[in-house]
Order: sequence, then structure tokens, then C-alpha cells
Amino acid sequence: MTEQIPAVEFRHVDKHFGKLHVLRDINLSIMPGEVVVVIGPSGSGKSTLCRTVNRLETIDSGEIYIHGELLPEEGKALAAMRSKVGMVFQSFNLFAHKTVLDNVTMGPTQVLGVKKKEAEEQAMALLARVGVADQAKKVPAQLSGGQQQRVAIARSLAMRPEVMLFDEPTSALDPEMINEVLDVIVELAREGMTMMVVTHEMGFARRVADRVLFMADGVILEEATPDEFFSNPKTDRAREFLDSIAGH
Amino acid sequence: MRFIELLSTYGDMYVEAAFATWWMTAVSFIGAMILGLMVTVMRVCPIKPLRVVGDFYVQVFRNIPGISMLILVAYALPYLGLVLDWVPCVLVSAILICSAFASENFMSGINTVGVGQIEAARSLGLTFTQMMRLVIIPQALRSVVPPMTNLLIATMLTTAIASQVPVTPPELTGVVSYINTRMPYGVLAFIVPAATYLCTSLLIGYVGNKIDQRVRILR
Repeated sequence: MTEQIPAVEFRHVDKHFGKLHVLRDINLSIMPGEVVVVIGPSGSGKSTLCRTVNRLETIDSGEIYIHGELLPEEGKALAAMRSKVGMVFQSFNLFAHKTVLDNVTMGPTQVLGVKKKEAEEQAMALLARVGVADQAKKVPAQLSGGQQQRVAIARSLAMRPEVMLFDEPTSALDPEMINEVLDVIVELAREGMTMMVVTHEMGFARRVADRVLFMADGVILEEATPDEFFSNPKTDRAREFLDSIAGH
Repeated sequence: MRFIELLSTYGDMYVEAAFATWWMTAVSFIGAMILGLMVTVMRVCPIKPLRVVGDFYVQVFRNIPGISMLILVAYALPYLGLVLDWVPCVLVSAILICSAFASENFMSGINTVGVGQIEAARSLGLTFTQMMRLVIIPQALRSVVPPMTNLLIATMLTTAIASQVPVTPPELTGVVSYINTRMPYGVLAFIVPAATYLCTSLLIGYVGNKIDQRVRILR
């Protein structure tokens, strides 16, 4: 059996915010098609971990590889690498002055050089897939949070990414809108998309994850299948964390 | 009536003066917008020396009174071998000063875009130039219509520095000196220029409001 190259690989990654050591010697491989869910208390470094993959956060030491290639530090090479890594943010971050359709076509037309008409057809198909095709001509502010987040997912997918990063994609949503977004992510996972998802939605983590990472204080304390982790957490920190959530 | 007499004698000059003010305002404002935008791009670009130069530019030129700027341009630049005609001196002075204020307006416009959209643009793989052109500048421009309306009025008032150098035909402030050195009309000679400045300001304000309502971004 030939050894597969990881879609994302962290080797001895460290990062500080001033005196705060937010990532401590992170070693992690995410294989193609794998869904890794990162959970942990706030301030544990999970969002930072996610954001280092496309270098929205720089790292102090160590290396990050995307499909075996070292993540470039800056310039056009970094932009090119970022175009292959989709990112969905907590606060949607749609371009406020553009219609939904233009939000989705901007990447393909400007970065990949896709013709406008072709990009629009592709965008409409993606918007239909996430269930907001009827909103294509509106601007983001006219949409609900759940709809905006689904557009943001479509915008990322339009780049045909090799990896998708989700940084707390439902944390800014009203409760009744969370599921419409999670359903889209679950569907993507079923189709075999490689994903790293930071979330507080434990039911969703259980449903979608191939592997759960539990982070605290900048360290990956546990790595396990969802069944293992949720039924039998090994560390005290993880047990405390799960108990604190179950208390709600 | 002395006012009727004033109008019948100098009416044509007032009209010429109004046009002189208007075109100098338009040229200065367009120049200030272009230069201000360039300075702003420097101030937010990833290259630190350019950011420093951009910030320095703004600190210098927004802290020089218009009349001092004109004296420097008209009487100091010749020592550096650059001799400009009077009207270009006025335009350059107004552009230098107003571009610093324009840049401050653009910066506040850029700040309304928010770091999230910038991160989203970077995540799509847009280069810095694409991000500026497609995401940041279009939104910054649309959110700065009200302050830029004010700046256009301020630019118009700045062109009054032309009254201190021999410009032909004189603009609205210069024409007052011109008339009063020939006939003792005193404050009466100010009435037409004051009314013209006021009406122009009101018109600019009205149009600016209309543009703002049309281009404002829903958030």
C-alpha cells in the first residue's frame, strides 16, 4: 500500500500572542476525505489552529504543509495556495456591496480566470445546492444569518477547494438557523470533502466527524473517534468540558 | 442704489469669478481625490516604508494652512528650480492639502469594511491589488460620500487663497479685493461672492445627499 500524502499536515507548530502561548508543538495530519472536528473551551487555540492553515494567522515556528507542499509565507504563492483552501467564518464575511451571485462568482472569475457566464452558471448550481438560489440577486444584508452562511459556503465551494475550513460556522446564528447550515456541512462531508471544523455543536461533531480533536491551552489533549471521545474521554479536562456542556 | 450700480459695473466680473472658483474647485477636488486615494493605498499596503511615507504625507499636509502652502509653492519651489504659473500654484496647494484630508476620509471608509471581509478576500486567493480594487475601495468610496461632500465644500473655500496672488480672472474672493481697490464699496462687494459660495455649498450638499442615498451599502 502506498503511503498517502496528508491534505493538511502540522509539524511542531508553535504560536504566541504576546506572552500567551496559543499553539504548543502541534503535530497533526488530516488525510484527504477526512473530517476532523476540533472542540475545546474558548481560548484553547482551536480557532487559531484553523486559521493558521491558510495563514490568516502566522506561526512562530514549525511547518504547515498542504498536500505535501510547504505553506508559502506571502505574495502570489500564498494567494494561490489560499485559493485551494476554502474558509467559512463565524461572521459570514460576505462582501456587503455585492449581490449574492457576485459574491460567489468573484473568486472563480478573478482568481481562476473562469468566464463570467460559466462562473454564474456554476454559482447558481451551488446556490441551489445550499438552498438559496432564489436569493441570488439580493445583497447580503437582505438575507438571514443562516442564508448568509450558506452563501459563504457556496462562495468557498465555487473555488473547488481541496480542503474546507470551518471556524465556528454556527456560533453567530440564531438557534433556529443552525441546522440549515449544519445540514449543508454534513452533506459536504458525505461527499468526501476534506474538512477541519471548529465547533461547539456536539451533536453535529458526533454526526460528521471521522476524528475529534480536543484542545485546551494550546495543546491537542485528545484525538479519538467521536464515539470513543464522547463516551469515554481520557483526560480530566475533556471530562470537565463535556460535563459543563451537558449541564446546559 | 449702490448695489445695483455695483452689479451693473462688475456683474460680468462676478460671473467670471464664479466660474473661476468653480473650475478651480473641480480640478483641485478631482486631483485631491486621486492623490488622496493613492496615498491611502500606500497607507494600507503591506510594504512598511510606503505606509510610513503615506502617514507622514498626511500629517504634514493636513497641518499646513492653505495660505502658507501657497506661499511655499509660489515662493519656495522656485529655489528648487520649479517655477509654476500662479493658477497652477493655487491648484497644487489646494490639491496637496485637500488630498491629506481626502486620505483621512478614505481611511475611515476602509475601516468600515471590517477585517472579516478582508480575511474572506484573502481566503479566496485574491492578491492585495485585487482585494483593494474589488472589495475595499468600492465599499470605502460608497461610505465616504458624506465626508467627501464636506471636503468638496472645504476645497471650494480653499481656492480663495487664489485671492492672494495675481490670478486672471480673479475668483470669488479675489474679485472683492479687485473691486474695492477701485471703488469704495466695502462690505457690499462681498454680498455676491458670499451668496455664490452659499448657494454652491447648498447644491453640493443636496447632490451629495442624493448620491449617498443611492450608493449607501446596506449593513
